[in-house]
Amino acid sequence: MRFIVIGAGRVGLRTARVLHEEGHEVTVVEGDGERADRARDAGFTVFEGDGSREETLVEAGVEAADAVGALTGDLNANFAACMIADHYGCRTVMRIDEDYREEIYTKYADEVDEIIYPERLGAIGAKNALLGGNIRAIADIAEHLQVLLFTITAESPMRGYTLSEVSLPAQARILAFGKDGEPMGIPLSDDSLEEGDRLAVLADFDVLGDVRQLLVGENAAATLASAAGTER
Amino acid sequence: MTVTAYVMVKASTGEADRVKGAIRGVEGVEEAHIVAGDMDFVVKVRVDGPAQVKEVAADGIQGIDGVEDTRTYIAMD
Repeated sequence: MRFIVIGAGRVGLRTARVLHEEGHEVTVVEGDGERADRARDAGFTVFEGDGSREETLVEAGVEAADAVGALTGDLNANFAACMIADHYGCRTVMRIDEDYREEIYTKYADEVDEIIYPERLGAIGAKNALLGGNIRAIADIAEHLQVLLFTITAESPMRGYTLSEVSLPAQARILAFGKDGEPMGIPLSDDSLEEGDRLAVLADFDVLGDVRQLLVGENAAATLASAAGTER
Repeated sequence: MTVTAYVMVKASTGEADRVKGAIRGVEGVEEAHIVAGDMDFVVKVRVDGPAQVKEVAADGIQGIDGVEDTRTYIAMD
């Protein structure tokens, strides 16, 4: 696919790199000459110009692009770029700078298909690191809803039971199950939980603690300690 | 002496509709729009004098729950 990434900062360049590594065609648009040079030196295809102007985006190839990521730190520039890109039929992704704005732009910015708040994603990574190896947040589905991956430990209260015997709180669902070392699949009621098996669970924030106690064990400190011992 | 002023409002909540409604309810406010950028609303104020501009911005708008900051610009033309 063809993408235009606006902004050669940390977020823009990382995004461009990942897309490029996955075989997509990416043009980075950057208004600052030094930044543009640095990105070009790093091997990116860079178009120097103001990404919030239509002429720039046309020259950068917006007509042939599938999607445009407006990923600068400037909300006005990002929004303007999304308006133009939307006009050209592209999928649009806009970076915002404060979390409360997610709701506002989701509701009012019809030209924007998806909002990105990088700090939220960074916080998920930091939280995963803090929780240790047994619990990993996979995605925020909604403000209060998250998908988490739990690894069954020796201390898990549910170890040795089958999935049908696991009674999660009402605001939680098992989405997928994988035996130790095997790929994840559809959970079956007679799958048994052994150490090292993994469960993907959709859970409301209110019951996360309960789900964790059930699947990983009561002692958070022990969980962290064992994670510290097993992580590389 | 009628004074026109524009007040840029930064929110601290995603409840833009509620805040906009509350801003529009402040006496002296003629228009309020949700905008993209580092401020969330642009508010047009028309009052009888400069002192009332301050009242509308400082007491009226800043008193609304979910308003973090305001910047006021008085029109000169």
